[in-house]
Amino acid sequence: VTTAPSSPTLSEQHIEAAAKRAKSAEPEGTEVPWQRLDRRVIWVDGVKILLSLAPGLVAMVILDLDLSVVGTWLLVLTAAVGVISAVEDLLRWLKTRYRVTEERVERRTGMLVRKYRYVPRERIRSVDTTARLRHQLAGLRVVNIGTGEQGAAALSLDAVSNRTAEELRRELLRSRPAGAVDRTADPVAEREPTEATADPQEVVLARLRWSWMAYNLVNAWAFLVATFLLWGAYWALQVVGIDLNTWIRRVVDWEELGLGWSIVVIVGGIYAIGVVGLALNFVTENWGFRLTRTITEDGTALRTKQGLFQTREVHRDERRIRGLHIGEPLFWRWMGAADTEVISTGLSNWSVSKEPGSKILPRGPIGEARRIAALVLTDGHLPMDAPLRRHPRAALHRRLFWAILVPGSIAGLLAWLDATNVVPGHFWLFAIGLMPVTCLLAVIAYRALGHTIVGPYVVLRCGLLSRSTAALQNRAVICWTVRQSIVQRWLGLMTVSAATAAGYRFYQAPDLAADKAVTFIYDATPGWMAGFLESTDAA
Amino acid sequence: LWTFRVLIRTIVIVGGLTLTYALVESSRPWVGPILAILTVILGVTMAVMPTWRYLIHRWEHTDRAVYLLKGWLVREWRVIPISRIQTIDTMKSPLQQVLRLATLRVTTASTHGAISIEGLDADVAADTARVLTEITQATKGDAT
Repeated sequence: VTTAPSSPTLSEQHIEAAAKRAKSAEPEGTEVPWQRLDRRVIWVDGVKILLSLAPGLVAMVILDLDLSVVGTWLLVLTAAVGVISAVEDLLRWLKTRYRVTEERVERRTGMLVRKYRYVPRERIRSVDTTARLRHQLAGLRVVNIGTGEQGAAALSLDAVSNRTAEELRRELLRSRPAGAVDRTADPVAEREPTEATADPQEVVLARLRWSWMAYNLVNAWAFLVATFLLWGAYWALQVVGIDLNTWIRRVVDWEELGLGWSIVVIVGGIYAIGVVGLALNFVTENWGFRLTRTITEDGTALRTKQGLFQTREVHRDERRIRGLHIGEPLFWRWMGAADTEVISTGLSNWSVSKEPGSKILPRGPIGEARRIAALVLTDGHLPMDAPLRRHPRAALHRRLFWAILVPGSIAGLLAWLDATNVVPGHFWLFAIGLMPVTCLLAVIAYRALGHTIVGPYVVLRCGLLSRSTAALQNRAVICWTVRQSIVQRWLGLMTVSAATAAGYRFYQAPDLAADKAVTFIYDATPGWMAGFLESTDAA
Repeated sequence: LWTFRVLIRTIVIVGGLTLTYALVESSRPWVGPILAILTVILGVTMAVMPTWRYLIHRWEHTDRAVYLLKGWLVREWRVIPISRIQTIDTMKSPLQQVLRLATLRVTTASTHGAISIEGLDADVAADTARVLTEITQATKGDAT
C-alpha cells in the first residue's frame, strides 16, 4: 500500500491534538520549530500585483488606445485575477508553516479552512524542485515532495529559498535519519552554508546536444501549437483593437494565388509557426539539460536538471529503479530517435502538465539512448543491446489475419448498409483500399516483436505505433499473466505480460510460441512455476 | 453464477432491441438483422459458456504462489508469488449471496496484477483467505 495518508481537513483542536501526538511520538528534546516559507515570496507577490495592473495602464494611459467594451472588461478581469491571486498568495505565506521531524514532514496552511498534512519520511520517493521565472529571479524554489501517488505531489512548499530547498532535498532523501539527533534537531535554519554549497560528488552522464532539436521539431503537434499561438495572438490583438484577419489579408492576396496555392501557403505557414513554437518550447524546456549521477548519503541518485525560465530538478533514487524503457514512436523510429525512461517505483509515468519524472533524456538518437542505458544500469548487464529472440511466424499470420479481417468486415458492413440505403455512396471501397495499408502495418508490428532474458533482466519488446522495449529486473515482476484467445490457440501462440509496481504497471510480449512461453517465465523467475506446470499440462 | 449473469444480459439486450424494433419504425431495416444475429449469439453463449467456463476454471495456492486459470474464449493464466501480495479480500455480490458463493480477490502493488477467483463456495473462500493471510504474514518482502 504505497499511498500516503490523505490530508483530512481538521478543526483547530484536532490539529493541536495531532501535533501533540506527533510530538509525543518523537524522542525527548527534539522538538522541531515550525518554519515559514521564504520572506521573498512577499516581494514576488508585490511585483506580481504591479505586473497584472501594468498592461491595462499601458494600454489606457500611455498608448491612449480606443478600447472596445469587451476589451476593457477583459483587461479589468485579468488585472483583478492577478491582484486577487497575489493577495491570496500573501495570505498563504502568512499562514503556512512547515517542519521536518524525525518521522515526517508536516505542513499547516489555510486561512478559512485550516489544513494539516503530513507525509511520513519513509514514504517519500522523490523530491524535486521547480522554479518559474519569477521564482528564479528572487532566488526561490518550489519543493515538491512525492510519495509515488498518481497526480499531484503529496506535499509542495511554494516557495523556499534556493539554499533551503537544497538542504531540504538532501535531508529528505536520506532515507533514515541516522540516529544523529543533533543534526535533525534544527534541520533547516542553522546549517552552515558551507555544507550546502559544497559540491556533491557528481558524475555527468549526459548533456544536451543541440542536434537533438531536429528530432523534436518534426511533429504533427506543430499544427496544434500553431493553432493555439494564432488563436492567442488573435484575441490578444483583438483586445487592443487590431484585427489580425484584415492584417493578413493586406499582406497576402488570396484571389491572386488561387485555391491550390492558398492551401499550400496556409498549411506551410501554420506549420512554420508551429515549428518555431516547438523549437522555442524545446529550448526553454531543455536549456542546460544535464543528467548526472549524484552520490547521496545512502546510495546514488540519478538527477536531471533542465529549463530556462522554469527550471526543474528531479532526483531518482537508484535503489528504486527496476529497469529501463525505450520507446520509439513509428515515424521517429525511422529517423533513429527514441525516448528513454527509467522504470522505477514511486515515480509517475504520465502527467498532463509536464514531462513525467521518469523520463531521463529528451527525445534523442537511439545510440545515445543505448549509451545511457548502459550507464544507468550499473550491474554490468546490457539488456538494451542484447539480440532479441524472434517470435514464431504464426505471430505474423495472426497479425495478417486481423489486418485482413478488420477492414474486410468493415467493408462488408458498409456494403450491407449501402445496400439497405442507410449510408449513401460506396464507402466500402475505401475500406477495401485500406487492406494493403493494414497488411503493411501488420508486418511492421510483427517485426517489432521480441523478447529475451539477460542476467536478471527480462527484455520485452512490442508495439506498432510506439515500439517499446522494456528491460525489467526479474525481482520487480509481481504477476505473470498468460493469455490465449481462440485464434492464438489455433496458431499455438501465447501472450505473456509481466505486471509490476513500477513504470507503466505492465509490460507485455505478445505471441510467444506456446511451448516457449512457459519456459520463458520459468527462466525469468525460477521457482514460481513449480506447482503450476502440471496444471498447465492438464489444460 | 455465469448462467444467471448471461441470462440477465441477454434479457436486457434482446429486450431493448425488440423494444426499439417495435417502437421506432424507421430503424427496422437495420435493427432486424442485428437483433437476429445477437439473439443467436447470445443463445449459443447461454447454452455453452457456463459449462465450458466451469470446466476450464482452475485455481490453487501453494506456500509460494497463487495460481489461476480462467476464461473460455480467451484463456488466461496468472501467477502471483506470495511475497508480492498486498491485500486479500472476499466479496459477495447480491447474486452470489443468494447462491452462497464468494469472490476471492488477491491484489498486488500493480494495478494490472490482481487475481480474482470468482464463484468459490463461500466457506472455501473464507478459509482460503485466512490461510493465505497467514502465509503472507509469514513471508518477508516489501511486496513491490
